[in-house]
Amino acid sequence: MFWEYLPVFVMLLVAVLVAVGLFVLTSSVGPKKMTPEKAIPYEGGSETTGAEGLRLSVKFFLTAILFVVFDIEAVFLYPWAGLFSRLGWIGLVEMLVFLSVLGVTLAYAWKKGAFEWEK
Amino acid sequence: MNAWLLVAPLGVLAFAGLGIMLIDAFSPGRAELAGVTTTALLMAGLISVVALLSGVDPGELPRSLRAFIAVDHAGLYFDVVICAGAALSALLAGGYLKEHHLERGEYYVLLIFSALGAMILARAVDLITLFIGLETMSLGVYCMIAYRRTSIRATEGALKYFLLGSFAAAILLFGTALIYGATGHTDLAGIGNVLAAGGADARLVLLALALIVVGLAFKVSAVPFHMWTPDAYEGAPTPTTTFMAVAVKTAGFAIMLRMLITAFGDPLSASPETGWPPLIAGIAILSMIYGNVAGLAQTSVKRMLAYSSIAHAGYILVAVAVSYAAREQAIASVLYYLLAYTVSNVLAFGSLILLGSRGKEAVTYEDLAGAGRRHPLAALPLVIGVLSLMGFPPTAGFFAKYYVLTTALSIGGGMVWVAIILVLSSALGAYYYLKVIVFLFMKEPQAGAPKAVPMRSGYVAFALVLAGYFVIKMGVTPEPYLRMAVDAAQSFIS
Amino acid sequence: MSTANTVLLVVSALLALGGAVGTIAAARPLRAALALLVNIVALAGVFLSLHAQFLAMVQLIVYAGAVVVLFVFVIMMVGATGKVPRSPRGLATKTVSLVVMSVVSLVLVFGVAYVSMPAAHLPHGYGTVEGLGAVLFTQAAVPFELVSITLLVAVVGALAVARGRTPKEAAEARARRAAEGLEADARLAEERRISAEVSAHGGH
Repeated sequence: MFWEYLPVFVMLLVAVLVAVGLFVLTSSVGPKKMTPEKAIPYEGGSETTGAEGLRLSVKFFLTAILFVVFDIEAVFLYPWAGLFSRLGWIGLVEMLVFLSVLGVTLAYAWKKGAFEWEK
Repeated sequence: MNAWLLVAPLGVLAFAGLGIMLIDAFSPGRAELAGVTTTALLMAGLISVVALLSGVDPGELPRSLRAFIAVDHAGLYFDVVICAGAALSALLAGGYLKEHHLERGEYYVLLIFSALGAMILARAVDLITLFIGLETMSLGVYCMIAYRRTSIRATEGALKYFLLGSFAAAILLFGTALIYGATGHTDLAGIGNVLAAGGADARLVLLALALIVVGLAFKVSAVPFHMWTPDAYEGAPTPTTTFMAVAVKTAGFAIMLRMLITAFGDPLSASPETGWPPLIAGIAILSMIYGNVAGLAQTSVKRMLAYSSIAHAGYILVAVAVSYAAREQAIASVLYYLLAYTVSNVLAFGSLILLGSRGKEAVTYEDLAGAGRRHPLAALPLVIGVLSLMGFPPTAGFFAKYYVLTTALSIGGGMVWVAIILVLSSALGAYYYLKVIVFLFMKEPQAGAPKAVPMRSGYVAFALVLAGYFVIKMGVTPEPYLRMAVDAAQSFIS
Repeated sequence: MSTANTVLLVVSALLALGGAVGTIAAARPLRAALALLVNIVALAGVFLSLHAQFLAMVQLIVYAGAVVVLFVFVIMMVGATGKVPRSPRGLATKTVSLVVMSVVSLVLVFGVAYVSMPAAHLPHGYGTVEGLGAVLFTQAAVPFELVSITLLVAVVGALAVARGRTPKEAAEARARRAAEGLEADARLAEERRISAEVSAHGGH
């Protein structure tokens, strides 16, 4: 089992090494000239607005929970797609029933304004 | 007769739920959702009754279906009780939500799918369907409690119930994982066979059994897993409280019976010395005593009914505890009790709804002071409801308690003491039920105190008439209902 | 189990344990969420060492990818600045609960570790995507369809507690408030009229 996944672990290792290595390199090799400008937390180039006090709207929560639910739907699609040819018509009908229930759910959420941002 | 009739109630609810979603999404306000929901639930209940009477052979159904969903008479009986409870809750919601300006379509969607989840749970014969049913039902109920978003108490109750409920579900899940590890089966019958053959490690089985009992005792709000009950019952909109008290409790006891009898029915697990019977009896004693003692101190009627619900869980658990010996009789008395408890509770909660209106709700005993004399017709169902919950003849609640009591006494031994505790604690509980009647008819509201003003709603009135009819009917002629319960209990054992 | 596999299991399990401790010990909610992420990813490693590939993948896609994001959103929603307040409970309560929890955990650990657990007869390749799919879509089609109902309830429940008003509902609420306001105005006018009458009579 472990050896089958060796490439994955090698990739993980490389990713960690690159990340750590770049940090170490930039902080040890590069010149350091601290200016007040540079001491400000980096926020994508725009002025900082006080990092932590920010509170998100409850709408983010709604979006996130919809994301989780439809993510789980996608997880079920995975094995289904892999077995599609073997399952035949029955598999197709099963998945269509599953998807139509979630389709009604999606339509309901949509009509109830779960995806609207203007208010 | 077509065997699909046996699972038709589930299908009807699923389609009706999807239909309600489409109506609510695409032409809101066009249809009375409360009416549609009630009709669908009553229809599903009627189909269950027809299926119960028709004697269809379930053998024609595909194996892949029967492996997950029970198609026995017990399942149909639970369908009837859950559908009745949910339909009456939907009627109450029809009046309550409009009065309190909470009318949004989501409520009915959640109600109907929670009822479906409860039915799946009550019919689960596999650990997988058990968990799916449990979560479908519970998720809906959590949101139905938190439904009144501006209310802090509703949010508090929902959060407590949700957090503790998640822990309980995790404990239950751990127990089911252990029993799967011990037996290699997820179907209850398969687990039962392996255990009966002595093919599993006894220590592991008892550990799994304990965890599963904890998880299920939480759902039926038995002591010491009851902590959430008063807050959730009080904070929730009253129709939700009704639904929790009737449908959730029924489904909880249904799956508890299935677990204990089908999966853990072997001589070791069901032994009156070391198995689940003493465990359940202990929980029953604690629930009866705690529910009735704590109920005495309440000032809120809704909260009192929450403690009453804990006490009633205790009474029902007495019958569950003796189901290892007097099987048919004990199971039948649980089933009869659940039906009687459903209609009595709808009556009590429904008239609390009817007695109040927006801003002038009837929640505490003080609110009720003198209301019986001012509005006798609205107060009458509350009187019948609390008398039935008390176990006063001739109401449904009397025979429910009577059957549990005779079953416990027929076992003899230590169960006689449990029966004595049952009688004494219900005598204690009579105090807070009678207090309702005293406040209704013999007290006057204090000067300047807000008076509860009854609301007008055809939905609530209809629910009360229906529930009241059955409370009296089951109290005067209990035989047909008891026969139905015995018939369902027989299918359970075979 | 091969040595490499055992190493993977032990390393992942230790990481998962560390993440779990971090989750409950962190003073800042956001750090707790990140510790949870460590726990979840490490659990994926545990699943992988147990030949449950599909589960490992789900662990990464759903839990690491979606659920932790949801947690972070919720933390940001209630404000991430706050620290977890110190527990007001006394030392005695804490000690008792620590002892009780330790006993329960030990019973569970030894209950699982030192009893015979016959492995269920699983077909070869059970934990793979194909193996699980074959069971899911043939034998377990009924629970699979039922899961769609559970997901539906989750979405509708979230809508019930967290969505805003639709334009129609907002209009209704405005109309109702206006009507109630008019009613209140009318009542006020009536009271003024009565008091004016009373004072007029008093003047006679």
